Amino acid sequence: MKWRVIKAYIVKELTELIRTRLIVMVYLMPSMILLLFGYGIRMEVTHARTIILDYDQSHFSHMLTEKFEHSKYFDAQIGLMSEAQALHQIKKAKADMILIIPASFQKRLLHGQKSEIGLFIDGAFPTRATTMESYVQGVVLQASQEAENIALKKGMIVINNRNLFNQAMRDENAMVPGLIGLVLLVAPAILAALLIVKEKEKGTIFNFYASPVGKGEFLIAKLAPAFLLHSLNIFILFLWATYLFEVPFRGSFWLYWLSSELYIFISLGIGMLISVVTRSQIAAVVMTVIVTLLPGFLYSGIILPISAMDKASYIEAHFFPIMYYNHILYDTFLISQGIASEKIVLYLGVLFLYAVILLGLGTLFLKKELR
Amino acid sequence: MKEQLYVKNVTVQYKGHIGIKNATFSLKGGEIIGLIGADGSGKSSLLHAIAGVERFTGEIIYDDVSYHNPKEAQPLKSKMGLMPQGIGLVLYDTLTVKEHLDFFADIRNIPIDDTFKSYRTKLLHMAGLEDFIDREAGKLSGGMMQKLSLVCTLLHRPKLLILDEPTTGVDPLSRIELWEILDEIRKMEGSIILVSTAYMQEAQKMDHILLFDEGEIIASGSVSALLDSAKAYTYKQTPCEDGCITFDGRTYTRKNINADHVSPTLEGLFLINALQKGKTLTSMQISARQNRVNIPEIVMEAKQMSKYFESFIANEHIDMKLHRGEIVGLLGANGAGKTTFIKMLLGLYPIDEGELYLLGKRIQSGADRRELKSKIGYVSQHFSLYKDMTVGENLIYFATLHALSKQKAAQRIKSYAKALGFSEYLDAFPRDLPLGINQRFSITAALLHEPVILFLDEPTSGVDTIARAQFWEILRQLKQQWGIAILITTHYMSEAEYCDRVVLLKEGKKVADASVAQLHATHPKAKNFEEIFLEYYR
Amino acid sequence: MMRIFWTIVGKELLSFLRSWGLLIVVLYSFTVDVYIAGEGMQIKPRNVGVGYIDNTGGGISQKIISHLHPPEFLPPKRFLSQKELSEAIFNKKILVGIIFDSDFEKAYRKGEKTELNVLLDATAASQSFTTLGYLQNIVLEFSKVDFPVELKSHKLFNQNADNHTFMALSELLSVITMLSILLPAMVFVKEKEEGTWDIMLLMPVDARITILAKSFSQVLIVVAGTMMTVGFVLFGAFDIPMNGSFWAFFLLTFLYSFTSAGLGLFVAAVSKNILQVAQLSMIIMMPMIFLSGAWTPIYAMHPAFQALSMISPLRYYIEGCESIFFRGTDFFDLWHYFAGVLVLGSFLYWYGFRKIGKLF
Repeated sequence: MKWRVIKAYIVKELTELIRTRLIVMVYLMPSMILLLFGYGIRMEVTHARTIILDYDQSHFSHMLTEKFEHSKYFDAQIGLMSEAQALHQIKKAKADMILIIPASFQKRLLHGQKSEIGLFIDGAFPTRATTMESYVQGVVLQASQEAENIALKKGMIVINNRNLFNQAMRDENAMVPGLIGLVLLVAPAILAALLIVKEKEKGTIFNFYASPVGKGEFLIAKLAPAFLLHSLNIFILFLWATYLFEVPFRGSFWLYWLSSELYIFISLGIGMLISVVTRSQIAAVVMTVIVTLLPGFLYSGIILPISAMDKASYIEAHFFPIMYYNHILYDTFLISQGIASEKIVLYLGVLFLYAVILLGLGTLFLKKELR
Repeated sequence: MKEQLYVKNVTVQYKGHIGIKNATFSLKGGEIIGLIGADGSGKSSLLHAIAGVERFTGEIIYDDVSYHNPKEAQPLKSKMGLMPQGIGLVLYDTLTVKEHLDFFADIRNIPIDDTFKSYRTKLLHMAGLEDFIDREAGKLSGGMMQKLSLVCTLLHRPKLLILDEPTTGVDPLSRIELWEILDEIRKMEGSIILVSTAYMQEAQKMDHILLFDEGEIIASGSVSALLDSAKAYTYKQTPCEDGCITFDGRTYTRKNINADHVSPTLEGLFLINALQKGKTLTSMQISARQNRVNIPEIVMEAKQMSKYFESFIANEHIDMKLHRGEIVGLLGANGAGKTTFIKMLLGLYPIDEGELYLLGKRIQSGADRRELKSKIGYVSQHFSLYKDMTVGENLIYFATLHALSKQKAAQRIKSYAKALGFSEYLDAFPRDLPLGINQRFSITAALLHEPVILFLDEPTSGVDTIARAQFWEILRQLKQQWGIAILITTHYMSEAEYCDRVVLLKEGKKVADASVAQLHATHPKAKNFEEIFLEYYR
Repeated sequence: MMRIFWTIVGKELLSFLRSWGLLIVVLYSFTVDVYIAGEGMQIKPRNVGVGYIDNTGGGISQKIISHLHPPEFLPPKRFLSQKELSEAIFNKKILVGIIFDSDFEKAYRKGEKTELNVLLDATAASQSFTTLGYLQNIVLEFSKVDFPVELKSHKLFNQNADNHTFMALSELLSVITMLSILLPAMVFVKEKEEGTWDIMLLMPVDARITILAKSFSQVLIVVAGTMMTVGFVLFGAFDIPMNGSFWAFFLLTFLYSFTSAGLGLFVAAVSKNILQVAQLSMIIMMPMIFLSGAWTPIYAMHPAFQALSMISPLRYYIEGCESIFFRGTDFFDLWHYFAGVLVLGSFLYWYGFRKIGKLF
């Protein structure tokens, strides 16, 4: 193992990365993915455009409509239009729902009769429709309680919920740490694959084939720049998460850092294996994205917690390193058990094994010859 | 000195086809060995096997170490140097010359002492790269790239130097400089040098040559011995029916014919081999053009044309005329501005300064070219056919774009296929065929619409000698039968002799514009055109 | 002229059919990929793991627990101490922990205010939130409280809030976007790389026709693929409603693919090789898809992103498609989607023609 050879390659790689401006991609891509996902996907609904048709215009109905007007969840528009016009607004995607308060609303209430409020929600995006429905339900419930000033009746059970780890149920807290796991899986793999396949495509790989440079030296030289450059991303992503998205960081930074570095090794190993089977840079990029992005997204726990998956997916998830890493990530950001938890120690061990096996396989399959 | 390199029964096999079959030979130190043969004849496969970068069967022994696969060759690699085929293939485009030297010294673990430093300076000097130390490799000309590649390969003073077509696509000046470096190294280091080449003339510089055809070594020996062996089959040019090939003023046959023997050329060795396999050369017959056109006396005139790339001057105030029925060769070293000039004439680059007249019409914008398009034919450096379509489909496609009717297209393609001898390849994909054949399709594609001006950008680069000779035969007939004007760029100085007039470019400027005969008259000392060319460049 | 146009289109289709790898990727994207997205990606809680501690001795607590059943919930697990329960949540074995205090049943029977303590793993915010809603409903039902006001809600166009159709449609639109940018970009950059583009420019054919024909051929591939998905996957597997006009969808898809192809043309025009195309398309496509309004409504985004989304053709296309499939919007009310797509498209082609479509 000659340090001089490794150093020469590393200097060369860095020079090339800077001069070909690929370095921009190394730092732009991860941050862009984090920002787009973080800002672009919102599970909670705010500013739902609500048309309220108040046919009653009574004290009670105003009480109800005011609740909508003063909520950040709704952009209420007290409509002076016909139902058909309101429906037309929904069809033109200019409104999300229509709330209809019937003419006899107050009268019936005062007579102790049941009164119906009609709600018509645009069901084009079903999840959002369900969420909006539950919001409206909440508002109506609250309003009617206030209106009647009903004392809690006999046998009323109140749910007293504690939202662990994410008090305010912020989407950012739930999503951003998971995204870091996704980004650090995809980006280093692409870079590592590119650095090797680039030489194959151009023909400069002959310099390695025809020289006494050893396989180990070549691999260290190729992986080190990718490793170092992406190590910086660990910190950049951390800063985005904590400052921009204001995700709390409750656990051990050391654990975050070390497990991330370990995880980058896994990603590099994947990239290396891909560089063995591909010949052109474009094929390497496409293949890395296919191998890492989709499973990474599915098993990251961002859209669905691992425990809530059905049997098959639950087992599949255990084959992908992102599940283990993200468990640690969520812990360091939100839960903070740290290495006191046996599961985290176990998962660190699993990550270590992954790194060793993938890098080992890459070294095994890389041949110092054509084809 | 005893033999140092033994190659025994080496076979390289790829998926589906054989690279080289049962190659066996041995070499002494200090020898330069030439590997000569057409593209795809097995030279690269053999060189890769010897360099230990390709799996093979058989045995290779170098310096008393025997190896049967790349892994076993690993300990020998510090003594070897390989320069694979392709201009600047082993260079990193964005690294400077200096950075390359540092990189190669580092990966070869060469101690940076005074001996090395003075050796490095010497190499740089020989290669003429001293003044370009800080230039990025991607911005060097092709010739300079090859010299830099060679310097990088030589840095660790290899005892076994393996060079795969180092001179292909390189201008004559750089070629001569490359050979001077090699000669020097051989004397200094006593290395074995294996060189493959497509230039027959370079065979004269070798101690020993191996001739390759279809994955086999068909002959080996010194140039003179090989020529002697072929003498029995070589006659003065004689009309002869089958079993004969007439080429370059000589007739080759394995029969006894009633004519005088003459000394053969190296190409003759391949022709005799072809005869042995029962093949003959296709004779090219271009039929008369179908569309009668009036061609003006001056088909193209460039006045003071210039092209700048940022601060770099690619073409500077070039004047040129192209007459009806004239073949003009546009010559110059790599990076002299030949391709840029042609692209400017075609409108692929904007003209920065000067005036251009095509067929008497002043060209000022793309709109002026609209009606002229059907009168111009162009073959680019890369023989640009679509790789995922068969040859026939490609030709029909281009014919349709030229608005030829179906029957007319089919009929013309058929007649060209017959005339240029590629009827059997119409259903094949271009990538599966040798360069020499591809070149014929490319010119066919450019001729389908029967143009009156033909622009050819290095159509013969990398093509073997015989295919090249046939190609020039096509051009000659086109000129005679159709009376069209042809502007062609080439690196083969011997091809200048076929041109009616040559225009020499040097660093973007025109330095000569005359017929070859006139140039010989003004340069009486020059033995051939190559020397004239060099006089302009030295 | 038409003959040349169709010759170019035919040639490109032939090339496409011959490149096996690409063909498989395209077929996969239009069938399996959309199907998986519709079938698999369920945000609604399913299989939610629940644990509980019951110190009441059974009765009401067990009745409440019995309401937590598949498919939404896994069979609840009983824990013996609060420590064990929270450990299970900390280790992500379960998402929800319910604690029945010892006086829970007593208080309930007495008719006092009864509290039910629920612990939620809020790292999965949306699942937790919806689970909470479920619990609330169960408890409400259980308490049989009679509210004077009843909310009668209707989900228009999709009464059951069936998520499959929506997810499948969103995925299809992403696939259309991706392919109608990448396929033409690859066609053009391949020609540039291999030098055939120079030859095409020198043909006696208006380069604009060449560009349009080549784009059109890729648009045909995308539109054909879309029709296949709509027929087999959307109608066949997911039974998606088609409340609007099919032809409006067809036309909008066609125009949109053409505009995206223009984006591909733009990418190819400024790239030197296929790797640059890949990089640039990623930089363009990712914001396009995320800021399209498919995941978060445009009006709820940051104002800067809102402005940015104006120039994304996907924004118009997605809203248009949702309107056509679900909302059943009249053809006339869709005009601004067509206009948005057309204006952006025209600009892109104008740029493409100027950049790679002319001789000097």
